[in-house]
Amino acid sequence: MPDNWGYVIGAYGLAVVVFGAYWLRLGRREREVAALAAGRRDRAASAGRETVRSGPRSPRPASSRADAAPPVTRR
Amino acid sequence: MSAWLGWLAAIGLAVGLVVGFGVAPREATQGTVQRIMYLHVPAVWVAYVAFTVGLGASIVFLARRRPGADRLAHAACEVGTVFLGVNIATGAIWGKPTWGTWWTWDARLTSVAVVFVMFLAYLLLRGAIEDRERGARYAAVLAIVAALNIPLVHFSVYWWRTLHQPPSLLKAGSSTMPAVIVAALLVNFVALGLLGAYFVARRTRLLAAEEEEALA
Amino acid sequence: MAWKDLLVERRSKETLNALLFFSLALLFVFQFTLGPDRERLASVLPGLLWLGFILSGVLGLGRAFLVEHENDCWEALLLAPGDKSAIYLGKLLGSLALMLVVEALVLALFVVFFNVDLGPSVPSLALVIALGTVGIAAVGTLFAAMTAQVRARELLFPVLLLPVLVPVLLGTVKATEALLLREALSSVGHWLTLLIAADLVYLAVGVLTFDVILEG
Repeated sequence: MPDNWGYVIGAYGLAVVVFGAYWLRLGRREREVAALAAGRRDRAASAGRETVRSGPRSPRPASSRADAAPPVTRR
Repeated sequence: MSAWLGWLAAIGLAVGLVVGFGVAPREATQGTVQRIMYLHVPAVWVAYVAFTVGLGASIVFLARRRPGADRLAHAACEVGTVFLGVNIATGAIWGKPTWGTWWTWDARLTSVAVVFVMFLAYLLLRGAIEDRERGARYAAVLAIVAALNIPLVHFSVYWWRTLHQPPSLLKAGSSTMPAVIVAALLVNFVALGLLGAYFVARRTRLLAAEEEEALA
Repeated sequence: MAWKDLLVERRSKETLNALLFFSLALLFVFQFTLGPDRERLASVLPGLLWLGFILSGVLGLGRAFLVEHENDCWEALLLAPGDKSAIYLGKLLGSLALMLVVEALVLALFVVFFNVDLGPSVPSLALVIALGTVGIAAVGTLFAAMTAQVRARELLFPVLLLPVLVPVLLGTVKATEALLLREALSSVGHWLTLLIAADLVYLAVGVLTFDVILEG
């Protein structure tokens, strides 16, 4: 029987692609969540500093919260 | 935690490759293509272990309502589906030179395909429900139904294919496989199992982080 | 609970009529695509019959909780005192009765239009149809409750239901096929065992987890 190395490489290559894609997807979403968390902490910190300094300010716009919600609840 | 699992997995995969290509002998009838088996078969074993973990975690979640159990169930079922997908695809690639066709409706391929679709539906359900708590409950019930259904699927498909009909396809490994091949399969099973565990660990951590963000 | 559903059905007759017309349309399509070839028609008849049953079942079951959902009675269901499993069984019996009526009529139409001679196999056939329908209804009622509140309900329900029902479909089609060929009921004993096992598993999971679904 011929050796059919092409198929063997194809199969292992496919596995590499699938597992690699999943691995990259995990990494990408971890970075997204970390960025969101960092952004939230920064906003909270700066809002805290400014209220201490200058008294009551106008409320923070809610749009950033709305943008944050959809990506993380989807799955 | 997941980092050292990842490194272990990498080492294991390297060892598995060496064993699969270097140590295991070249099979007489099928030639080199048979080595795909060292990827294809352990993949389905890992997937079924993952689904069993998903079943257990789902039951624990319904009984105790611990969010960690739900995250584990979600991650396990997701990773299991990925491994099953790899199993099906590599099976098709193996089948083409061996049987001359990408797909046949034989017992093993068909039952694995049905299980794959069941757990794809699980992932769809999780995506369709926005309420996190309700999604967790519903998904747990579905995971239990799907996992308990796996043996039923296997029996029904096996009987459908083999009764009144002699199995006509080339079986890759006969029931008495040389010890070397069995050993190679087990080594690769451990390797892929470590990879699966690494993915599950990382996925559960990501789920926890996402939940925290959503609640913040 | 079942009585309430039956009363609702008898008064509105909506679902029953819709299912009957749907089955009739299916029958015509089968005849147009396969009619001239009588032999092929005879061999695929069991499959066609159960295709008709399962599609009607998906349509009917998908609407099982529609009345409650549309009329905002869902909360009333959640707050109802007593064991929620009773609601499950009630809904199940209601759907079962509806499905059996539709199936009996569809079978009659098949016999007439495709000239099928049922002969002595009627009681055995009735048993197989009953076992299969119980399985379909058991899972269907559970999944219908699950998808009732989801936005993509009409899409998600069949996607969830059909893969899970593969064993039941396989069992019923093969058993029906054997019975239509005048084989003894004992020759399909393994299929009956599978159907009974599946029914027990689905009913058990349904009864045990329905109150989890109805938590919100």
